[in-house]
Amino acid sequence: MSILAGHRARPNGWYGMVVLIAAEGALFGTFIGTYVYLSFHAPAWPPDGIAAPSATAPLVLSLVLVASTVPMALAVRAGRRDGVAAAIGWVALAFVVQAVYLGFQIHLYVDDLARFKPQTDAYGSIYFALLGLHHVHVAAGLLLDLWLFLRLPRGFTPYRRTALSAIALYWYFVAVAGLAVTATILSATW
Amino acid sequence: MTAIQPPAPAAQERIERLDRIWAERPGFTGWLTTTDHKRIGLMYVAASLVFFALGGAEALIMRTQLAGPGRHVVGPSTYDQLLTMHGITMIFLFVIPLSIGGFGNYLVPLMIGSRDMAFPRMNALSFWLFLGSGILLYASLLLHEAPNAGWFNYVPLASRRFDPGPNIDFYTLALILNGVSSTAAAANFLVTIAKLRAPGMSLNRIPLFCFAILATSFSLVFALPALTADLVFLELDRKLGFHFFDAARGGDPLLWQDLFWIFGHPEVYIIVLPAFGIATSIIPTFTRRKMAAFPLVALAELLVAFIGFGVWVHHMFATGLPQTTLIFFAAASLIIVIPSGIQIFAWCMTLVDGTPEFKTPLLFIVGFIIFFVFGGLSGITLAAVPFDQQVTDTYYVVAHFHYVIWGAAVFPVLGGLYYWFPKVTGRMYHERLGQATFWLIFAGTNITFFPMHISGMLGMPRRVWTYPARMGWGPENLASTIGAFILASGLVLLAANLVVSRFRGAPASADPFGGGTLEWSTSSPPPAYNFAVIPVVTSAYPCWDADDRAADARRLAAGQLVLEHGHETTTTTPVDGHLDDVLAMPAESIWPVTLAAVCTVGLALVISSHYVTALVSVAVAAAVLAAWHAVEPRSAA
Repeated sequence: MSILAGHRARPNGWYGMVVLIAAEGALFGTFIGTYVYLSFHAPAWPPDGIAAPSATAPLVLSLVLVASTVPMALAVRAGRRDGVAAAIGWVALAFVVQAVYLGFQIHLYVDDLARFKPQTDAYGSIYFALLGLHHVHVAAGLLLDLWLFLRLPRGFTPYRRTALSAIALYWYFVAVAGLAVTATILSATW
Repeated sequence: MTAIQPPAPAAQERIERLDRIWAERPGFTGWLTTTDHKRIGLMYVAASLVFFALGGAEALIMRTQLAGPGRHVVGPSTYDQLLTMHGITMIFLFVIPLSIGGFGNYLVPLMIGSRDMAFPRMNALSFWLFLGSGILLYASLLLHEAPNAGWFNYVPLASRRFDPGPNIDFYTLALILNGVSSTAAAANFLVTIAKLRAPGMSLNRIPLFCFAILATSFSLVFALPALTADLVFLELDRKLGFHFFDAARGGDPLLWQDLFWIFGHPEVYIIVLPAFGIATSIIPTFTRRKMAAFPLVALAELLVAFIGFGVWVHHMFATGLPQTTLIFFAAASLIIVIPSGIQIFAWCMTLVDGTPEFKTPLLFIVGFIIFFVFGGLSGITLAAVPFDQQVTDTYYVVAHFHYVIWGAAVFPVLGGLYYWFPKVTGRMYHERLGQATFWLIFAGTNITFFPMHISGMLGMPRRVWTYPARMGWGPENLASTIGAFILASGLVLLAANLVVSRFRGAPASADPFGGGTLEWSTSSPPPAYNFAVIPVVTSAYPCWDADDRAADARRLAAGQLVLEHGHETTTTTPVDGHLDDVLAMPAESIWPVTLAAVCTVGLALVISSHYVTALVSVAVAAAVLAAWHAVEPRSAA
């Protein structure tokens, strides 16, 4: 054919993930918007009797999550060269960091629940809903990593290479969303 | 225009090879496991028409109840359930699934010259999730626990305190499921239209119907999350005692309305845009002329979807928001007239400038233009804040949105049912009966909905289950009821025409109307692989380019772009439509329907507060997903 393109467009799976991320971004945007909306209506934010969230642990943790995207990116690069062992290794490193991250976050979540409840008032409702939304996304990402561990050892196919790059893209999004969520939560401290 | 010539022997051999490669399992299990966009589209059509019949029956019961003052056909609690289910059914289970799921699925790959959607298995999943959400909603009606707070389900009426039964839980969870289904469908359309177009189909050659589906899909992707978040908040409030909408604990009932209409107004355009797309398909065919102002119409479709995000507060003019806010949103609501006007003038100019042949599909489009102008004008009156505050929550609003949603969004869909019937079944519908049916439905629509303007201005509030005789609303309501039955009889004739023609109609050629888009270049009904050779396109109306189609036939004989070695289709670059790659497509799979069943059962468990068992179904769903993705599409090379 005379109309062959000079270079190839990205695979459909990558585009599909971009659309999913757009929808998920809108979902996070709605949650964050709700947080802001409710804070505008409140006389005190956080309400009296609830301490403002501490900044250190959430900030450090979200930077850790951002750092975990580096091994994901390296895994994608290894995938392009068919480096099965390298790709699995990088995903495994990312997986460990992400799992530790989620463990810490759940620990903090349970800690917070001991101080106040989502049933206390609207601040508690959106606080726990927003953090919970992000933790669910991290958990879903961990399941995607596990799927890679199942499939990658048998070698790369175009399908698996697309899957790896799409999952990496998902993690970039989850890391950015983590930063946005942390910034929103910490906005109550100033 | 030209019938398909009997292919040369070499071509015949290739066609037989394609038949073998693309054959799916026969019989009932074939429908459960299918990933063929046409069969999925037909299942969408069938299911949404069943829901349409149910929603119509609900409307007829309500109209019978309201025919005169003080009647008691149904009690108030049943009436509340009927009116809520009518709204939810018509919007979430009928119009959107029919126009996007049904028409979109069946037509988009055919119009862009592809062999399937970008994600065929996810496409099947979309359908089965949609069906699951419909089954959940109608299960609630069978249990007499159907949603009963109106289709927009305002809090605090919908909160646990005032609606303690499972009614609203059915609403929230079924609509979350429905939203996931629509998001998956929208993602599928976006990637399909971006990547799977025929070689040569650059952006400016995409058929306007596909542009409409593209705009709709953009809207769905960004609008549905607001609804999903809203539903999640409500369910957390109801089931776990959160306080999102509880003013006593720092929440805000208006938050529900804001989030609902941030979704709900784009939703109006999600409903009506595919109808615009159908109009832009039917008008050129029956006027023998390309659409006037083609690029403007494409841009207007995208612009309507975009501005649709900035007008949601016009549903909330009576809620006591600040005056500045109201003025901003009133202005935004008026601006949307501009892209709508562009399209109306383009349709009219095409009709005036062409040589229109008023067959049934075009009649429905003309009816659509009339209703859209009329409903648009009553919409302008509602965008004026002082007037709106007078008629909010009266039958005037009911009249307005039925003119827009029934008259403007459904009429093209009905026209489309006739227009593509020969393509789908290979048989012609009965033309004379079709035209008579149009006039019956057109008259029924006006007799039903026009008097509602008057009863509304006389002060009749919407959603009342009955009214006393001294209010003087009797004559208008009787007229509406009579109209509703005329309308219903017209729809019965439509169904009868299509069902009988399916078996007894005259055989249809590949292109009985001389259509311009690619679906008419393949046989009626199309083969499983759509096109024996991937078409190469040089204009927006490729079926009118006889030389190109002759070149396709030569390529079939020569074996170029036939892709006869595997379950494959081509991809092209998103902007220019240059041939990019040959893609192995996944074949039929049992996992989408399984996953949808697991999700539906899981949500039913949440509704009945069996949370632990519901968690088990999450684990099962994860296992199903793993099994699904263990089957990889293989390329033949």
